[in-house]
Amino acid sequence: MARGPLVLPLFLVLAALAIAVMIGIALSTRASTLELSAIQERAYALRRWWLSALIVVFAALFAITIPSFPYLKAAELTTAKHVPVTAEQFAFPMPAMLPVNTPIVFDVTSKDVNHGFGIYDPESRLLAQVQAMPDYVNHLAVDFKEPGKYTVRCMEFCGVGHAYMQATFEVR
Amino acid sequence: MAQTIVHDTHATHGLTHHEIENLRPDDLRSARRLMWVWVDTGLAIFALMALLGVTMRAEQAGWISFGPDVFYSILTLHGVGMISAMALATMGGIWYMMRLEGPLDERVAYWAYGFIVAGVVAVIVSVFPGKFGAAWTFLYPLPFIGATWAPWATGAFLTGMMLVSVGWSIWCVQLLGCIMQRHGSLRNAMGWDYIFHNRAFTEAGKQPPSAQSFAAMVASIDGLLTGAAGMVIGVALLAHLFNPSVQIDPLWAKNVTYFFGHAIANLTIYMACAWVYVGVPRYAGRSYHTSVPLAVAWWGTLIFVLLAYFHHLYMDFVQAQALQYIGEAFSYLSALPTVVVTIFSCLMLVYRSKMRWTLGSIFIYTGLIGWVVGGIGALLDASIPFNNNLHNTLWVPAHFHTYMLGGVLLFVLGFVFMMLEERTGVASALALRWLVGTTVFGGMSTFLLGFYVAGAAGVPRRYATEPPPGPHVASWATVGAIVMLVGMAIAMIEGIRMATTKPQGRLS
Repeated sequence: MARGPLVLPLFLVLAALAIAVMIGIALSTRASTLELSAIQERAYALRRWWLSALIVVFAALFAITIPSFPYLKAAELTTAKHVPVTAEQFAFPMPAMLPVNTPIVFDVTSKDVNHGFGIYDPESRLLAQVQAMPDYVNHLAVDFKEPGKYTVRCMEFCGVGHAYMQATFEVR
Repeated sequence: MAQTIVHDTHATHGLTHHEIENLRPDDLRSARRLMWVWVDTGLAIFALMALLGVTMRAEQAGWISFGPDVFYSILTLHGVGMISAMALATMGGIWYMMRLEGPLDERVAYWAYGFIVAGVVAVIVSVFPGKFGAAWTFLYPLPFIGATWAPWATGAFLTGMMLVSVGWSIWCVQLLGCIMQRHGSLRNAMGWDYIFHNRAFTEAGKQPPSAQSFAAMVASIDGLLTGAAGMVIGVALLAHLFNPSVQIDPLWAKNVTYFFGHAIANLTIYMACAWVYVGVPRYAGRSYHTSVPLAVAWWGTLIFVLLAYFHHLYMDFVQAQALQYIGEAFSYLSALPTVVVTIFSCLMLVYRSKMRWTLGSIFIYTGLIGWVVGGIGALLDASIPFNNNLHNTLWVPAHFHTYMLGGVLLFVLGFVFMMLEERTGVASALALRWLVGTTVFGGMSTFLLGFYVAGAAGVPRRYATEPPPGPHVASWATVGAIVMLVGMAIAMIEGIRMATTKPQGRLS
């Protein structure tokens, strides 16, 4: 799933909120001055609330994200169609065509240095990725729901041809 | 209109005037000179690296073209140089503060400085003329396969990284020794009794370590582990360089490299915290003391900095899954000490205070904003489902530039101007503050937004030539970067003017 387009508005909203609060506090110095002791008790109560809220948010976030972790279970590995990919400076030798609506597991490794195997959908959105590392095989599961032309780009700096290291394949 | 500086009566660099007066004037001047050597070197390297950074963005925008080999050499130097620059500046600042608290041998500090500068010079030589271009990450086995540079350049680069690690480690040992000597033991330096036997501690009339001492302690302990990791990976790769039959596990190498790189970059902002603890209360005219939450927060930071680095390996699915969980959990946890204690306390100090908005305080306060905003970007990236779509895109330089440039650098500049304002006794004119503020923060926001927009669109990082919308975004981001650098140049000229103006301040 391409979550890139979702993350920018989320970031901008959170950042704008944080900036607004901090500018507001900066502007408060134009109002009449208070002794620190006059605000300390309320501030410490607010801090306790703030700590509790953050712990709840982070714990919830952690729990919510776990089901979306891309790491495969053994069962998923056995039932899918496997596509081996051995990256090398500066190419991804791989099939030109892959089936739509079929669970696929890319078995990704590298012949030489570290590469990144990033799959972009026909709308150029980054759909999924995994590292291609020598001596290791990473298994990336993808089920292409949309037919069309997909592009693979290298996502780990691998040398002078890094920006030109790409491949395309058709999903039908 | 110029603003006259009124010194607060509470503290000077976090210490009482009585304590600072315990230092002989010659020792104070000498310590301050040493501190300026570190800070000025850091800022000079920053200026050079910033120009290289803008050059790379201009290349990505298609404004200029010097080819991928030169681009990746510049990228390598920019990465190592910027981290070294920020480390040098913050190391100098924190060294000075600890010198005000206890004895520190300047010769040892100059040795540490010498090793780091020699390391940076070796890295520069490896890049120009050596053409080394394996990025600061130098992920094994990249420096040795398909290299467009000579083996000696790899040797020079690795030697440079080793020298930086040695200098860094010397600094850590010296600082940790100073802190332990001042407080009698590591237990005291960490505030153990202050936290767990608070009543007895307080009734005995004891004082806990200063806030900046906690920052120094965490930097030096974590720094020693980081420096050791840097030297281990450096030795391993040098062994492979001289004897290619020496094989290294790529996953192990990646873990050690990112542990080293992540921690050293992350620690710079925690080191800069020491200045924030001194600067914010000073400008706000309020006092700030060590508290139990602050001590506990620094204990947390001590651990979280070391364990969050696993988020760099989320896309290495062969990494033990437990480590991926730890990476996400500790990335979240690392936010707590910052936003619940340090930043919250600073905001509390500023709220409805008599804050003096000089260039120094403006830089420090906006540095806090940059830290928070960069942290939000980092936390989103540290969430594995998002990382799936953001890993190694321009989102990564987006958030780390936000807290390195919009956080660490601004804290450095804030500290520099705080010292200069103290020296001259007069703050910069209002019009100049507006001019610097508008250009630096306007330009910086535009520059940084370019990374976020392109990163969210999936544009990969470290591409000399980017796919759409990279070049278009890079065009306006480059304009932002140029405006920001113009603002910084104006600030630099103002800084030089203040440094050369006849002193009026008390601590001249």
